[in-house]
Amino acid sequence: MSNRRHAPQGWRLAVLAALVGLAGAAAAQPSTTPAPSPEKKKMTQLGIDQKTAVGLYAYFKQKAKGGTPLTWKSVPDWTGVWTREASPFFWDPDQTSPTSMPPVKLTPPFEKQLREKLERVNRGIEFDPLSNCEPAGMPRWMVEPFLREFVVTPQQTYLVNEMQNEMRRIYTDGRGHPSKDDAYPLWEGDSIGFWDGDKLVIHTSQMRAGQYQRIQPAYTEQVETVEVWHRTDATTMTVDVWSYDPPALVEPWYTKQVYKKLSNTDNSLRIRYWDCGENQNNTVTKTSEGSSDFTNFSFTKGDKK
Amino acid sequence: MRTTLAAAFVAMVLVATPSFAHHSAVMFDENKEVTVKGTVKEFQYTNPHSWLLVDVKNNDGTVTTWGFEAEGPSTLTRAGIHKSDFMPGTEITITGHPMRDGRPAASWIKATRGDGKDFDPRNGFAIK
Repeated sequence: MSNRRHAPQGWRLAVLAALVGLAGAAAAQPSTTPAPSPEKKKMTQLGIDQKTAVGLYAYFKQKAKGGTPLTWKSVPDWTGVWTREASPFFWDPDQTSPTSMPPVKLTPPFEKQLREKLERVNRGIEFDPLSNCEPAGMPRWMVEPFLREFVVTPQQTYLVNEMQNEMRRIYTDGRGHPSKDDAYPLWEGDSIGFWDGDKLVIHTSQMRAGQYQRIQPAYTEQVETVEVWHRTDATTMTVDVWSYDPPALVEPWYTKQVYKKLSNTDNSLRIRYWDCGENQNNTVTKTSEGSSDFTNFSFTKGDKK
Repeated sequence: MRTTLAAAFVAMVLVATPSFAHHSAVMFDENKEVTVKGTVKEFQYTNPHSWLLVDVKNNDGTVTTWGFEAEGPSTLTRAGIHKSDFMPGTEITITGHPMRDGRPAASWIKATRGDGKDFDPRNGFAIK
């Protein structure tokens, strides 16, 4: 067989339109997201009022009178295998279309950057650094699909995502962040937290620059988040998240992320280690035009084994 | 490409399908479907993606191996697809979105085994 590598741009435009069930999707359409709920408005305003992630975290801590240290007897039951409820392709669960602008107030340079990215995607030019098993990193960690485990101990909580073996450590033993002199960008950032009853409040800083998802806005190394984790019923974990990033965001981006506990009565769902190198057929590289393609399959005559 | 002409049915369709979560799916033509009938050569049950390799006999007697990509084992498990479902030699009719560049590979949409059992790997993200 021939090993042609052509990919007409016209096809690629059609692909995206089909992907979202739209005919002729235009680049960077205005947000079609419904108006924010009263709760979302209230939470967004809370984030604005507290000005910074540090300020919001301090507000919650003061409200909780410093928090309640966990003991082994008071550890909440967060066991099981969980997954995100909303579409993995949006940071904000309220967004409805991948080709529309997300419901967030971006600064002009970051809005321009996102519009340009959406325009490229609509021409079929798309590459995700995750293709080579680069970690999603925080905050993107929150929206990736696949399996998750949440492991609570009195001194630390481990938040695990199967994808790329990413595990966040949340220190709840009273320690603070490293000093500014010792801080450096980390995939998952540095997270400290405290317990307010059965709610875990987390402040994360020191994150690397990245993107909220493949076709979502970018964030800078200045991004900081505040999260409030709460198991609201037997199968639901809700997380209120405020993302602060002055270069990219005009105001904090509040979202409610929801994870659902999966039925696993036969214990068949287990988190395994991922290594992109274990199968040659999964090797995806960036093309000269900035898009994605497989390199060499092991099962075709034209490809190198 | 002889394999496509001899053994594959390609249709233009408009369907709503999810992209792969690990890499972009732009290398696949989401507007086309290819269906081939053959026998399983190997089920590469690997992370972050699995590949089901299917040997398809062409009209001239030669064999082309097609690769169908799906999500990894945990997502396939959630879709009720296990490695043992597709042992080498299993008869299968399988459909996917083909590669744009003509190589015999596709993103796996659905499959029917020789015994009539259907498999839909995209059920793997359903919450239940």
